[in-house]
Amino acid sequence: MSDTSVAAPARATGLAANGQLILLGLLVLLVIGFSLGSAQFFSAENLVAILRQCALVLIVAAGMTLLLISAEVDLSVGASLAFSGCVAMDVTNKTGNFALGAAAGIAFGGLVGVFNGVVVTRLRVNSLIATIATLMILQGGVYLYTREAVQNRHQLPSFTTLSTGYVGPVPIPVILATIVCILAWIVLSRTVAGRSIYAVGANATAARLAGLRPERLRFTLFVLTGLLTGLAGLILASLMNAGQPTAGRGFELTVVAAVILGGTSLSGGRGTILGTILGVLVLKVIDNGIIILRWNQDLQMVVPGVVIILATWLDQVRRRGDGH
Amino acid sequence: MDTDAMTLAPALEMTGIGKRFPGVVALEDVGLRLEPGRVHALMGENGAGKSTLIKILAGVYLPDEGTIRIGGEEVALQSPRDALARGVKVVFQEIALIDEFTVAENLFLGEYPVGPGGSIRWRQIEDEARALFDRVGFAVDPRAKVRDLPVSQQQMVEIARALAKDARIVVMDEPSSSLTPAEVEQLFAVIRRLTGLGIAVLYVSHKLDEIFAIADTVTVLRDGRHVSTKPKAEHTEDSLIHDMIGRKIEALYPRTRGHVPGEIMLSVEDLETATGLRDIAFTARAGEVVGFFGLMGAGRTELAKAIVGFDRIRAGRIEIDGTPLSPHDTATGVRLGIGLLSEDRKREGLMLDLEVTANASLASLPKWAKGPFIDGRRERAAVQDYVDRFRIRTPGLDQPIKLLSGGNQQKVLVSRWLLKGLKVIVVDEPTRGIDVGAKAEIFALIDQLASQGLAVVMMTSEMPELLGLSDRIMVMAGGRITAELDAATATQEEILNAAIL
Amino acid sequence: MKRLNHMLFGGVAALALTAGLAVAETPERIGYIVNYATHEWYQNVIKGMQDRADELGIQLEVRDANLDVARQIAAAEDFMAQGVDVLIITPVNEEGVVQLLRRAGEEGLPVVLEGNPVRGMTTMVAICDYDTGYHAGVAAGAHAMEHLGGEARVMNVGLPLLSATVLRSMGFMDGLQTVIPDAVMVHDLDGGGNPDRSLEVSAAALAQNAEINIIYGINDSSAQGGLQAWKASGRDQDNLLVVGTGGEGLAFINAMETEPAWRIEAAMFPEKVGFTTLDAAVALFNGEDLPEHIVSPTAPMVGDEWQQFYSVEGDVRTINWDNVNQLEAPAACMMTAADL
Repeated sequence: MSDTSVAAPARATGLAANGQLILLGLLVLLVIGFSLGSAQFFSAENLVAILRQCALVLIVAAGMTLLLISAEVDLSVGASLAFSGCVAMDVTNKTGNFALGAAAGIAFGGLVGVFNGVVVTRLRVNSLIATIATLMILQGGVYLYTREAVQNRHQLPSFTTLSTGYVGPVPIPVILATIVCILAWIVLSRTVAGRSIYAVGANATAARLAGLRPERLRFTLFVLTGLLTGLAGLILASLMNAGQPTAGRGFELTVVAAVILGGTSLSGGRGTILGTILGVLVLKVIDNGIIILRWNQDLQMVVPGVVIILATWLDQVRRRGDGH
Repeated sequence: MDTDAMTLAPALEMTGIGKRFPGVVALEDVGLRLEPGRVHALMGENGAGKSTLIKILAGVYLPDEGTIRIGGEEVALQSPRDALARGVKVVFQEIALIDEFTVAENLFLGEYPVGPGGSIRWRQIEDEARALFDRVGFAVDPRAKVRDLPVSQQQMVEIARALAKDARIVVMDEPSSSLTPAEVEQLFAVIRRLTGLGIAVLYVSHKLDEIFAIADTVTVLRDGRHVSTKPKAEHTEDSLIHDMIGRKIEALYPRTRGHVPGEIMLSVEDLETATGLRDIAFTARAGEVVGFFGLMGAGRTELAKAIVGFDRIRAGRIEIDGTPLSPHDTATGVRLGIGLLSEDRKREGLMLDLEVTANASLASLPKWAKGPFIDGRRERAAVQDYVDRFRIRTPGLDQPIKLLSGGNQQKVLVSRWLLKGLKVIVVDEPTRGIDVGAKAEIFALIDQLASQGLAVVMMTSEMPELLGLSDRIMVMAGGRITAELDAATATQEEILNAAIL
Repeated sequence: MKRLNHMLFGGVAALALTAGLAVAETPERIGYIVNYATHEWYQNVIKGMQDRADELGIQLEVRDANLDVARQIAAAEDFMAQGVDVLIITPVNEEGVVQLLRRAGEEGLPVVLEGNPVRGMTTMVAICDYDTGYHAGVAAGAHAMEHLGGEARVMNVGLPLLSATVLRSMGFMDGLQTVIPDAVMVHDLDGGGNPDRSLEVSAAALAQNAEINIIYGINDSSAQGGLQAWKASGRDQDNLLVVGTGGEGLAFINAMETEPAWRIEAAMFPEKVGFTTLDAAVALFNGEDLPEHIVSPTAPMVGDEWQQFYSVEGDVRTINWDNVNQLEAPAACMMTAADL
């Protein structure tokens, strides 16, 4: 019984937009502030560097957004990123064929997704626990696979072009990330599948009673996130010019933090790709700006932590302000 | 209790109470007068201002205007602690006990008697709890853990907690919402015992039968304003409803459907489940309402969940319009045309954060699909059609559904199934937590569903609803069907007898 | 007889290190508790130790503490119970090992520490981080005089968390400045020792400092990250020098072969650390008087000098003991963590 539920204007879409406006404002402030602090911040080279870093995170974050909206999470993406990069480099070395290597890396990521999906939706292990376990398995497993970085022995130019090449003025990873984001955006906002993702996250029981198959959908999303992680791992291997088993530490936290910062709810049912894009940009701009301004690099952990708390708090204040 | 004060002054007198929230006038110039030893009912639909008034009385909200007198003395209730100190005890609807503590511990939570050295005197707590229960006539073991008690007994503990200190005024907010009929009787006995002790009781409810059973005087609020205060004897059901909703309801249980049902749409044979159902067999035909009655634990909800494919079954055969429900899951069920309107709207029906459209179209998404895409225009048009047809009160299709009233939420959920197009709809406690005015509309809706040729299977614990709506009545007890009766000739006695088998 | 043969065969370098070893008996069994066997560095330490043990006919047993003190202590107790002749430990942390040293002292068991000093120790074998960086810095200075027009503006892809890595960076700059007094560190980064993190922070620093012409990495992953950031920004490697540190795997060899800018590697020869440690263990067993800190040699390798020390076949690299054993180690480090 709520006596104040009389009339509140329709703001379902406005709500999300408000949160994104805050982030956008924050981003603009950050960019202006860093640019004033150091002219090099706004240089073409630095913007490209930032975008390239964003691209890597964003490709995975797009999948993670869908997963979080469906009320699941995947913390194994960092370890899977490193492992799939090693696989991609190794297979390219052995076959001398970039396409095969790329396919192997992406497929490996997809297999990790299948594993996570089976453990979560069939064995019904909580996804937080299940994917931390997968993270451990992969972190140890990658050393069984290779003791040291898998070196580039094939020297195929296409392999390095993937990360350092451009189409016009735009780096290839940024183009890939843009394509992934546009697809994810279309899925979420225009398709039956997208609506089902929101529904399953908002209330899985209701969705099941309405004839949807929440477990099947979530399984698909784990696989999708896995495939995207494989793609990101491939790009990272290209960027590093080696398959690095030690890469990707903490990557999962960056991804999840960016998605949450973008307004996606950990409890599911709420979130947008646009928010995630802004979240990634904000985190990576902070990361970059701290170096450009020559601040103490320990702040690279501290500041994003503070920003996430602030943004989440602001979001809640705003929701409460709406009366509910 | 001070006998002199009782006769001299009312236990509580609130006059000219006003309360505003940003954008909303919750209460305006409301008065309320409680006499010692009497039960005063406070009625009104959701949004009428009942909760706000209670919260002012409990010291949760401060009124913007008006005066409050307790025992003739003007008081300002600044906080819940203040209100308690003045002898005002409020039993809220939600049970707020600590599951892992014993009944006695819960009773004296935060004010344990302390012995030398700071040790808590558990024995004393237990004794006092026992004495309290004796005084109000409860049969609850003070040493039992709360989580081991049925909900009804938890409610009793909640009430007893309010009485742990001397009370002059006891406020009960929808106390019977989770109680069985027998437990409601027990609750009434407790209330009578309280009034016998000279305590004034404010009973908040919108169940008419309870009001007529227990109240001495009835105050009705509507839209934050005082509508009427009359002795119960001057009210009839119709006059009360009229006061509450501001208009007359033609008939609570309208009937537009014919009396000759059509083909068998649902047939269930030899159903057995892990949730305790045994030997369930029945059919439901197009155009008829089959009402299932049973006390708590009889297996109604379990049956509802099993036949729509939500719960697994151990044995048995379910056919929808002649096609077996196989594989046994909801996706198949919905495809074949059976759907459940759950008793627990919040947990099993609504997607609270999502807007009206998404909630309404959930089961019919494939209908609005163009390839992988949703044709938003057609979807919205279809939903708008139902919003208009059912007079769903919402500012727009993009309104988050959590901001709608219970009745309007329920209508959206019914629309969900109608948009899909069902052959069989299973409705479980369709009017739980819904206002009287909206109830009539839901009843009309169910009737319409049947008249459109759906087979309606209705699970209910409300006797009037069962008798008013059903064509055939099935009574359940202990996971079995114990009687099948024709609604036209069935009597309450017959039904209850079968229910307690 | 066979044992004696082995000793004579491989003993030359050992003689250079610890005079008078040849007289002695060899212990039969030596136990080594490594702190983290997964790491490439320790893989190579074990490899070198095993090589030397085989040569001397000593049975070497290795246990991994896997960064867990409790496991390290348990493994040490096991070894004591089995009655090994000498114990070698790479301490997981100080607390656990201090206690072990006392126990071993009571039982009269000789203990050699590898890598990190601990209170109350008698013998430790370790490289000198500062010296390693310093000599690489001197080599970098020479390179810069010849190829970079005498300019040296350094981006340090560092790890401020550990004193060892801080010492390397300090040594590098100090050595560089002996040749080019104007050399400056224009950006001091925390790359976390990880390749991807190093790449990310380097990308930002490179965008800010267009004048950088030397990238120093406190390990090979860090140098790799710095170099990849340089390449990703579209710069060519003509006027760049990359200096890596450690040389524990194949990464640096691959880089020196394929990346024009990666000209110098501050090699630490982990195999040699293992070798030296085993020799120290044998000397201790014989009751010789050893310095508290025995230095294992390091050296900058410029251009294709690495081929003198290592040969590579497929994914396996093999150390060339003859040349490595000719490297001279200083008697003491120029600077240690205690001086920070």
